[in-house]
Amino acid sequence: MTSTAQPVRPRTELRHPWPVRVWHWANAGAIVILMLTGLLIFDIHPSLYWGDDGHAGVAALASLTSPDLAQAVPSVELQIGRWRWDVTGVIGTVVDEGDSGKYLLVAAPPADWEFGATRGWHFMAAWIVGLSVPLYGVYLIVSRRLSRRLLPTRAELGRRSLATEIWQHLRLRRAHGEAAARYNVLQKLAYLVVLFVLLPLAVLSGLTMSNAITAQFPVLFVLFDGRQSARTVHFLIATLLSLFLATHVFQVCVAGFRTLMRSMITGRFVVETRLRP
Amino acid sequence: MNRKISRRAVLGGLASSSVLLTACGRLDNATPFRQLLALSDRFTLGAERLILANRPLVRELSVAQISAVFPTNGTTKPRGDSYARHLDTGFADWRLRVHGLVERPLSLSLAALRSLPSRTQVTMHSCDEGWSAIGQWHGVQLSRVLALAGLRPGARFVVFHCMDQLEADGNFYYESVDLFDAFHPQTILAYGMNGQPLPVGYGAPLRLRVETQIGYKNAKYLDRIEVVDGLGALGKGRGGWWEDFDHAVWYAGQ
Repeated sequence: MTSTAQPVRPRTELRHPWPVRVWHWANAGAIVILMLTGLLIFDIHPSLYWGDDGHAGVAALASLTSPDLAQAVPSVELQIGRWRWDVTGVIGTVVDEGDSGKYLLVAAPPADWEFGATRGWHFMAAWIVGLSVPLYGVYLIVSRRLSRRLLPTRAELGRRSLATEIWQHLRLRRAHGEAAARYNVLQKLAYLVVLFVLLPLAVLSGLTMSNAITAQFPVLFVLFDGRQSARTVHFLIATLLSLFLATHVFQVCVAGFRTLMRSMITGRFVVETRLRP
Repeated sequence: MNRKISRRAVLGGLASSSVLLTACGRLDNATPFRQLLALSDRFTLGAERLILANRPLVRELSVAQISAVFPTNGTTKPRGDSYARHLDTGFADWRLRVHGLVERPLSLSLAALRSLPSRTQVTMHSCDEGWSAIGQWHGVQLSRVLALAGLRPGARFVVFHCMDQLEADGNFYYESVDLFDAFHPQTILAYGMNGQPLPVGYGAPLRLRVETQIGYKNAKYLDRIEVVDGLGALGKGRGGWWEDFDHAVWYAGQ
């Protein structure tokens, strides 16, 4: 028989139904606002503690401090646990407020930014995440998208499969054909961790900082071991989510920015089915 | 601590995000976005009033957990001669006026407030800057004082007018809460802290402790309490000093 190569037959499939796209973009916007405003809120008191008692004078898990802000060029010290580094001129901006003295910030906000409004923006965006993450979780389960697309198979979780996938990622190899139509195992694990661990913990640790919410749900204090611990966890989760976001955007660029953006906007994804002779 | 740093702040670090934040800041000053933020704050208020429908108490801690050092914030000593005179006379001539939409306007001395049934509570103070500290407060429930005065129909908010100015611009600090927070059992007018008369740095002679709320709602250096039907006529109409001059949220999402 002839062994002529069969032609490439593109197949268009609905990769992302509308709930996925709406959730994705609403949360993308909300999380960017949360990250930026969260950074500004952290900025005003750049110290992390454990327990409930956390303020200047209390031993911090990590902090950015200056022994003497009155100096012409105040020295800035970064402390993490028992370690201390002199980061003068590298991290930290000292802001002179005249009568009120000088303040050390991680970085200065834009000139016309008002601190008071920061929390307003933070809470508005938090409503989007806080309400849509549980709803989306239910949608994923009910629509069986969770089992069909997100849960890794037993074979995928095998050592060999994981090693191959990590190697492909390190070489920045993009998937083709049917393989590109599925999520790969690392992608699945990352999405599952973000959806079912990081975002719920971010919401819960955020709620633990509210006096009113904890009045009704004191178990939150047990869960996080206090308000300052919840704040520290909130900060660590934000750091992990930032790493996820950076990786996510980078991977979209590696795997094909236009195709993937189109599929997250219109829902449609073109699968290049190459039939082997 | 004065948080209005942004006015003199210069662009540093945050190179890319500052562009976005500047955009947010601009949007923020445009009316539709202000309205959106106000809507979000009202949504938070509504949701939390639902969550707190059975009026739970906030956690009270043990005396052993009281912070060794409790930070002072905002004004630490009101400027002006009249406060200085009060300090000299041990607040003997100071009176707390209760007026507005009340049946019986009051003028209460510190001794009169102390003679009312008292409440002592060890609670955590949470500042919107991120820090928290634990203190013991002694005072009279605001609900008792409001009951003495008797609310008139239409009363919706309780406003706390203070003796301090955060900036020397003539604007005295003030704050306001709704009747839910005002009548919460742990909302007290505190005249004592950690077993002592309330120190100057913490709001002597009398301050508000509204434990369901964030730090800046806990007005210090109380001068008078006004019961109103709306907040529009006070200051810039946003219900408090930080709300007026730094666009802090009124309900504060607590």
